Amino acid sequence: MPTPTLTQSIVITLIQCLLVVIFVFVVVPLTVFAERKVLGHLQQRLGSTRVASGHVGITGWMNRGMWKWGRIPVLSYWRGIPGLVADVLKLILKEDILPAKADKFVFFIAPALSMVAAVVVFAAVSFVPGVFFTFPAWFPFVGGLPVSGGIADINVGLLWILGVASVGVYGIVLAGWASNSKYPLLGGLRSAAQMVSYEVPLAMSLLAPVVLSASLNFGEMSARMATGLPFWGLVPQILGFLIYLTCGFAETNRLPFDMPEAENELVAGFHTEYSGMKFGFFYLAEYINMTVVAALASGFFLGGPWLLPFGLQGLVNPYIPAALSWFAEPHAIFFVVKIIFILFTYIWVRGTIPRYRYDQVMSVAWKYLIPMALFNLLLAAVVRCFAV
Amino acid sequence: MFKNEEMEINLGPQHPSTHGVLRVKLRLDGETITHCRPVIGYLHRGVEKICENQTFFQGQVWTDRMDYCSAVANNLGWAEANEKLFGITVPRRAQYIRTMLNEFNRLASHLIWLATHALDIGAMTVFLYAFREREDILDMNEAFCGSRLTTTAFRIGGLREDLPPGFEKMVTKFLAKFPACIEEYENLLSENRIWKKRTIGVAKLSAEDAIAMGVTGPVLRAAGVPYDIRKAFPYAAYAEMDFEIPTRTEADTYARYLVRMAEMRQSARIIQQCMDGMPEGPVMAKLPKILKAEVNEVYHATEAPKGEIGYYLVGEKGSGNPYRFHVRAPGFINLQSLPKMAEGGLIADIVAAIGTLDIVLGEIDR
Repeated sequence: MPTPTLTQSIVITLIQCLLVVIFVFVVVPLTVFAERKVLGHLQQRLGSTRVASGHVGITGWMNRGMWKWGRIPVLSYWRGIPGLVADVLKLILKEDILPAKADKFVFFIAPALSMVAAVVVFAAVSFVPGVFFTFPAWFPFVGGLPVSGGIADINVGLLWILGVASVGVYGIVLAGWASNSKYPLLGGLRSAAQMVSYEVPLAMSLLAPVVLSASLNFGEMSARMATGLPFWGLVPQILGFLIYLTCGFAETNRLPFDMPEAENELVAGFHTEYSGMKFGFFYLAEYINMTVVAALASGFFLGGPWLLPFGLQGLVNPYIPAALSWFAEPHAIFFVVKIIFILFTYIWVRGTIPRYRYDQVMSVAWKYLIPMALFNLLLAAVVRCFAV
Repeated sequence: MFKNEEMEINLGPQHPSTHGVLRVKLRLDGETITHCRPVIGYLHRGVEKICENQTFFQGQVWTDRMDYCSAVANNLGWAEANEKLFGITVPRRAQYIRTMLNEFNRLASHLIWLATHALDIGAMTVFLYAFREREDILDMNEAFCGSRLTTTAFRIGGLREDLPPGFEKMVTKFLAKFPACIEEYENLLSENRIWKKRTIGVAKLSAEDAIAMGVTGPVLRAAGVPYDIRKAFPYAAYAEMDFEIPTRTEADTYARYLVRMAEMRQSARIIQQCMDGMPEGPVMAKLPKILKAEVNEVYHATEAPKGEIGYYLVGEKGSGNPYRFHVRAPGFINLQSLPKMAEGGLIADIVAAIGTLDIVLGEIDR
């Protein structure tokens, strides 16, 4: 395999970045659509499960198909897409209002900060262990070169992820402050307190896999977590996963922890004064963050691009017959399936439970999650000490 | 350099959870409410004064537009107050139909309360479920009197028309599925840890305070006072109905939730009894073309879904209009207790308090 020159590796990295951005911009609208659909079915909404445009355009064509073969659920699943299209159009076309007394520069920079912090996390996420694909030889400039499954294969990936993700909170706090309005201010303050609090148990729950696998590198860790664990490694992983998921809900401001934007208390929280695409950036950032949380969960706890979660794969691998050896190997598709499952959980929870009160959110973090995460870390250390 | 300042903030009149155009002036220390004053009047239309300039028959239309979530209950109070004023006896069948529709209206109003209250606390699904059932009730309203929300359902002296054909079938169908629906809501809320954390001990109002402020309805009953006008001073056909008055003693938001849920079950029971014992006969009493008052004044109170709604009518001898008309609106009087409930709590609690009071601004501002 030829070694790429510096220029070639830069080009390859740029291509990887492009792929990640495409991934993000495909996943986010799909998640929004899935949210409309899943909530629509959970709540028996009449719009998002039925609306389809008339007879024009691509949705019209799908619509006619749907009615023709109406009983095929895959086709009828596209019902509701005009709602999504209208939503996106509204975001793009809406007037971008700048409050007269807002701090103009900070007001402008805050959504960008949120968005960038959310996307940059993906740098350290490896979608496929090892080589993702190799450019064919005829490809200009980078022909014959391999493209790895993650952009930056850094050995302190976890630190990068946690560090960059917590920059995102600045976007929210600054948005709340720069709006120069009372409800956004309250939302910004809430988010500062909430995100700082939940960062602690989140990081500690992620430390358990680090202790168990003795690596901070995302790809390496997923690989070791999936196959290299004894049976006793399951317990700290499952407990850690639950803690992680709870904190992930809080970090992404989703129900039941959507304090910063608690609609019924703070109107719209930190983004009350935002409109148009600036609001759209916060919206995008929220969904990208959800995807990040889901990606991390599947990488750290659900066995990454492997099939079975919690390290079960290593335990069952010896029993997988040769004919089914496909299941013993990593595939990017499993990664995506796990991400989708966790995203579904987000929506599911949103449709099921109410919102905590602000002080209760804090007490959940400090009184329950942090002690539990500490205990889990201890458990992981014990397993590491005696069982590995 | 650092100083501790209280922040003044306006909750409303444009706010997602003030149920209309209520404005609450809050003073906050951090997120704790230190001072709370509701400001009302954004929806004032002068309903009472308008009614004084219209005939007794015309006035009912305005009662629809006070508490538009429970128009039928308002109509019932208006019709009965007038019947008291003129000494009209209403046929028994009309009484039964009125009772039944009134209870349907109580269900519709409580469903709206449940929906919005749950939404305020963040439980979005209950909102849509409750509206689904309310839709059936509105369909029945439509079948009976042609309109869904502002019903003008009754006439002084009885009903304009008998039940439409097929109405019984609608009622039976509704009653068959409704208990399961209540269970569905309760499955989502009653034992939900977050729901309990958000409601238990929140927005307390003791029985003494409630009585001192004249608070009625489920808020009073959740404080342990079994005062329900349907039992205390029976009207329409309630004397012949067998039902219970659910009460709780905790006097907090959760207790009010349980009381209203139990009331919905009782309402379904009353509707069933009305259907079973529906007498035959005319639905309208013989009335003169123009009503002229004989008695001087009446006060007639009925149990609206939100509490005691009282109509005070003064008739002038020889005049076709009321000389004075006043409404004791339950929402208006219940809203007095908001500062008591909210002060000392957090912002999220005032949202729960507004929800649990079940206010409709059309009725408060009139």
